Amino acid sequence: MKFSIDRSKFINQTSNVQRAISTKTTIPILTGMKLDLSESGLTITGSNSDISITAFISKEDSDNDLKIESTGSIVLPARFFNEIIKKLPGDNFELEVLNNNQTLIKSGVSEFTINGLDAVNYPHLPDVETDNQLVLPTDVFKEVVNQTVIAVSTQESRPVLTGVNFLITSEGLTAVATDSHRLSQRKINITSDEDYNLIIPGKSLTELVRTISDSVKEISMSISENQVLFSFDNIMFYSRLLDGRYPETDRLIPDESNTRLTFDSSKLLASVERASLLSHESRNNVIKLEIKAVDKKATLYGNSPEVGTVEEVLDFDNLEGDDLEISFNPDYLKDALRSFGSNASIEMSFTSPLHPFTLRPVENRDNFVQLITPVRTF
Amino acid sequence: MDAFFASVEEREHPEYKKKCLIVAQDPRKHNHHGVVTTANYNARKYGAHSAMPAQQAVELIPKEKLVISPPNFELYRKVSDQIHDIFGEVTDNYQTVALDEAYLDVTHNKLNETNTIKIANYIQQRIVKETSLTCSVGISYNKFLAKMASDYRKPFGRTIILGKYAKEFLKPIPIEKFNGIGKAMQHKLHEMDIYTGADLQKMDQDAILEKFGKMGYVIYKRVHGIDDSPVEGHRARTSIGRERTYNRNLVTTEQINQELIYLAEMVSQDLRKKRQHGKTVVLKLRNSEFETITKRMSFQDYVQTKEEIYRVAKDIYDKLKVTDQKIRLLGITVTNLDPLSYEEVSLNLSYKGDNYE
Repeated sequence: MKFSIDRSKFINQTSNVQRAISTKTTIPILTGMKLDLSESGLTITGSNSDISITAFISKEDSDNDLKIESTGSIVLPARFFNEIIKKLPGDNFELEVLNNNQTLIKSGVSEFTINGLDAVNYPHLPDVETDNQLVLPTDVFKEVVNQTVIAVSTQESRPVLTGVNFLITSEGLTAVATDSHRLSQRKINITSDEDYNLIIPGKSLTELVRTISDSVKEISMSISENQVLFSFDNIMFYSRLLDGRYPETDRLIPDESNTRLTFDSSKLLASVERASLLSHESRNNVIKLEIKAVDKKATLYGNSPEVGTVEEVLDFDNLEGDDLEISFNPDYLKDALRSFGSNASIEMSFTSPLHPFTLRPVENRDNFVQLITPVRTF
Repeated sequence: MDAFFASVEEREHPEYKKKCLIVAQDPRKHNHHGVVTTANYNARKYGAHSAMPAQQAVELIPKEKLVISPPNFELYRKVSDQIHDIFGEVTDNYQTVALDEAYLDVTHNKLNETNTIKIANYIQQRIVKETSLTCSVGISYNKFLAKMASDYRKPFGRTIILGKYAKEFLKPIPIEKFNGIGKAMQHKLHEMDIYTGADLQKMDQDAILEKFGKMGYVIYKRVHGIDDSPVEGHRARTSIGRERTYNRNLVTTEQINQELIYLAEMVSQDLRKKRQHGKTVVLKLRNSEFETITKRMSFQDYVQTKEEIYRVAKDIYDKLKVTDQKIRLLGITVTNLDPLSYEEVSLNLSYKGDNYE
């Protein structure tokens, strides 16, 4: 195997693949980056057992300046290899696999020889059929992920909750995440010939949206038994799916309410951030919202026994319904409010102090809901 | 409490009252093993007492009078809780010793009563009324003397030791009855010809200190009526748990799940009762080889509901990958406890028709 390539184009691709490579892995060869050179171009692969990413650098694209002398494969220790490539002096570099997987890297006046590993021992990438692909606009997909992934559980006590549930039917796509204290549900209209019900790990989705550059207009999604493959540009992003059934969440979202408040998301966020300054200092991270319907007044209270108290009268657009006093974790509300974007008009709907309350964008009430459970104080 | 376990058994089985009752595993059925946990006052007349091998008690008591009852700790614990609740109505500052003994600091009390005899009377009457059992009370200005006083007249006794009579009171007491003098010290004291409180009081402080070290100093002070140890109000509990031993080993996964669900439910009930929640779940299991394994899992969030506790316990169990599944004992404990001053309401994330995943 021997080739030369434009160094900065190569680095662009390795930085994507690098996301999948972890230094902490039980399979030593996965700390390496795999290079596969064929007649048509170079494929770079990185993987931990949960996600795998490949990037293809085509010979056809003259910007890559890829010159192939002989094809082949090698696995190189990712950490050293990347550092070396980044620091090489020339615009291009040449890579050649010598005997015993020793790999020679030359650029300008510099020459490295590093020990590689036999690519035969690198695990195979998952097999995902790409006949049935769902094509999604990138901006919508990123929005769906960013709005739901905040609610996934970080606790391993119930693994399915560490993922986002994607339910795809002829009616569209519904994404739901919940850690049992909050829930986020987003719906979009897409057309699909087949129904799917899959749970994608939250961590995979976070890495995925970071990998998708803004220039990408569309991504394709292919689903198999236990893997999902996202392809865009020259990138293939594989993720393991979570095993198990996702709980039924539909019935948890209340459709009736007794008290409703309409806000500007940015204004409320600022108020909650102030109130949570003190609640964070307390053992119980709780703030209280008091609504007096007759006085048209909504007040937020936070306190820390050690530091002091905070009280803030809220600036809202509309208030209707019954009086209410409700306590909750301000971090949940902050995360939820951020997911609406700035200066969105949102409606908060409450039923009672011990029942979950919801936030919905006034513009798009049916397709997006954030649900937060209150805190019972004694 | 007076002959606590035995009195509870007599209450449950009035026919035992005229008999000599010992609460123990029956040595005739257990290959001569077993220890007397409590003997009723009739049995004590024949020399039976707690901690004696049950076999010996059987030999002391005439056959026709003897009744042996196996201990029923669950019931005793229930009665004990009832008694503790009564203490709690008098003061929060009470220190329990075993199931049936407690020190109450009544300097300040919820009854707003300054007359300690009236307080003692109140406690005794309440206990009789609610449990049909009797207890003996000792009143004094420190824990040691209160304990000595409570042992002075049993059953259903009430003894008060005033400061000026303390040393006088201790004089005739044999050293075996002194709280804090164990078998070894007794033996050494006897060798020194010391048999009673009076003998002890005559001893020189340096001599007793040299011979018995720190404990000697404690005893020296006690025999002169001094005991500074505070009543240690009920310490915050650090864990709440339940365990069960199975006569027949659990072998199927179904049986184990069922038991874990049961234990999780019990523990979550106890947590709720005690207004606690914790961040760590501990699973204990013992196999047929008597090997005991405990394994814990901790979380950032509090665990309290039966579903959560079960799920974690089950998860730990699965991770243990028990190969030879013959389970003799299962236990679930929740530790890392904090008082439940607030509780995040949880969504009921279940599926149609089932409560557990």
